[in-house]
Amino acid sequence: MDGAFRKIDIDAFDEDIIQESELYEADPRDPAQVLEEARARQSSVRGFLSKNDVVGALTTVLENAPYGPNVEDAKTISLQTLLSILNNTKSTEISNVVKSLSMDCQDTLMKYLYKGMAMSAWADSNASVLLSWHEKLTEIAGTGCIVRTMTDRRTV
Amino acid sequence: MPEIFSISPTPVTAHAFNADRSQLAVSLNSNDAQILTHNGSQWAATEMLTEHDKTITSIDWAPNSNQIVTASQDRNAYVWQQSPDPKTGTIVWKPTLVLLRINRAATHVRWSPKEDKFAVASGDRAIAICSFDPENNWWVSKLLKKPIRSTVLAVDWHPNNVLLAAGSADMKARVLSAFIKEIDERPAAGVWGSKLPFNTICAEFASAAGGWVHGVAFSPSGDVLAFVSHDSSISIAYPGGPVHNIRMPTLPLVTLTWTTEDSIVAAGHDCQPLVFSGSDAGWQEIGTLDDGSHAASKTGPGLTGRLNKSGAFGAFQNADSRGQSSITSTDTKLLTIHQNTITSIRPYQGAPGQVTQVSTTAVDGKLVIWDTASVSALTGRMAAMSM
Amino acid sequence: MSNVLRPYLGAVRSTLTAALTLENFSSQVVERHNKPEVEAAGSKEVLLNPLIISRNENERVLIEPSINSIRLSIKIKQADEIERILCHKFTRFMMQRAESFIVLRRKPVPGYDISFLITNTHSETMLKHKIVDFIIQFMEEVDREISEMKLSLNARARIVAESYLLAV
Repeated sequence: MDGAFRKIDIDAFDEDIIQESELYEADPRDPAQVLEEARARQSSVRGFLSKNDVVGALTTVLENAPYGPNVEDAKTISLQTLLSILNNTKSTEISNVVKSLSMDCQDTLMKYLYKGMAMSAWADSNASVLLSWHEKLTEIAGTGCIVRTMTDRRTV
Repeated sequence: MPEIFSISPTPVTAHAFNADRSQLAVSLNSNDAQILTHNGSQWAATEMLTEHDKTITSIDWAPNSNQIVTASQDRNAYVWQQSPDPKTGTIVWKPTLVLLRINRAATHVRWSPKEDKFAVASGDRAIAICSFDPENNWWVSKLLKKPIRSTVLAVDWHPNNVLLAAGSADMKARVLSAFIKEIDERPAAGVWGSKLPFNTICAEFASAAGGWVHGVAFSPSGDVLAFVSHDSSISIAYPGGPVHNIRMPTLPLVTLTWTTEDSIVAAGHDCQPLVFSGSDAGWQEIGTLDDGSHAASKTGPGLTGRLNKSGAFGAFQNADSRGQSSITSTDTKLLTIHQNTITSIRPYQGAPGQVTQVSTTAVDGKLVIWDTASVSALTGRMAAMSM
Repeated sequence: MSNVLRPYLGAVRSTLTAALTLENFSSQVVERHNKPEVEAAGSKEVLLNPLIISRNENERVLIEPSINSIRLSIKIKQADEIERILCHKFTRFMMQRAESFIVLRRKPVPGYDISFLITNTHSETMLKHKIVDFIIQFMEEVDREISEMKLSLNARARIVAESYLLAV
């Protein structure tokens, strides 16, 4: 007997339910362009770091961060760039750096911190750095920043 | 000085005062609503309104026509009117069932300014606008469906009795027209639009970081819409103009009310009411109505940081600087008057537009009446926190 | 490595405080039902982004928030075979008595050792900061318990071996 119809997920055909993609505004930029931008940012960040300008480097990588489903490579490059900045900052300077970031950048930084901790390959070596940044950032930006990381569907 | 009343050990889901504030209708997280009467310094239970099968989620009391409407998770709403009981002659509240025609729970209900209609927000992705049909002597409903995509969490009426603001779990706050041909006369054209047949979408707003819209409110003039969403932000939208979004470093706000044309009091998971003030040029947070003087015990001087040092960083700072273990040093009581999330804030005293007192109820079962003038700065705040 | 513990627990504490912003929410999918949305997973818009806080590759906490419930899963450090067995038995002991724990889940989320489910009814009847305190205390104590058990196990094994091998 043909029972394949019994296995159809009928709820998937329901037009009324909200799809994941409708929950946020999609990134208007083209994926290839986003990848280019990510690479360009990587080099400019190296420039900032050689001048010891941590705030400038962070702002460059956090503003217009790639988000959404199609830009995986760009996201990985951005994460790597960010981790290199975080590793290069002395722990005494972290508070000052975070205080000089805009609210948008603070929220994006929090998103990257969690993303860093989620990827187990990075977590091992960078956990202490990520956790100390997390502690300082929560002190300054508050638990509201963490709530925004949870609600914002534009995942980096 | 805030007046504090402990209503019950269970959470207060919704509250509504009558016109002269001598009686209070509350839902104590149960299927029944209670009417409490103010006698001296306490609120005593005088009557129980039992009709619903599931938790009552929202209550509203129409001040002029003295009717109460209750909405519950059992998909029903009842309109209660006072009439003499045939057997005993005392005045009791008699329910009338309202056929909402919704298939999911009702979450929020509000009378319109003229008290001839009320709006019920529901989990059925619809809002039921109910009006009284005198021919058949019952309440009929019309449903506002498009473009709502998820549970509607809150509604608020515009002073012109026609426009309705709705905040829902699909992260949007909308202004819709709830114009009922038989009841309303055509409203004057305003900032939200003109010629507004039923179910027209006048505007749709969202907060940048998304987040369910927990509460919406029109300003006293109706020209501005404010809403609070789960991304810990409050947004004030001027139709055709800027939308000011203030991001808070604190936990999300869930309810708000306008006190004057340029100030709002909002409250939520931080357990204290916050005051915001501004104009179309910009809005900022002014402070809190809870000055912390009622705190049971202070955790000591020298604690910097954001709002109250309840739990979180207070505990670890204590462990770090004073060697107290994180568990034993945190007191069970929070530093704010309310010990749990504030669920509802309503104007208590003052005409709309010049509200001088507001009342709040919270999950800790307390009712507190605040003076809107006594605003104190949030302790240890950093400068320039908001846009 | 131990100086990472304080920021690790601090991060879990602040994330948990941010996630415990729960409210009563009836199911949109089934009428007259009220279930934890993180378990029912019926509608995508009421679920929030899951967050992971990790101290190293072997110790992490997954927090899955939603509008009326959160699920918190812990992966406990298990360095060797003995610790793996002890951890498994210990968590099994607790999960079989999940009723008395109230917030414990009977089965851990795949990939983790133990899971908690906290709903809006819990945050209404219990103080939220005390729930957070409980979870943090639990995390601190689990590691301690397992190392204590391992030490006493080794001690007992040594005594047994000595008395067996030294006997005539």
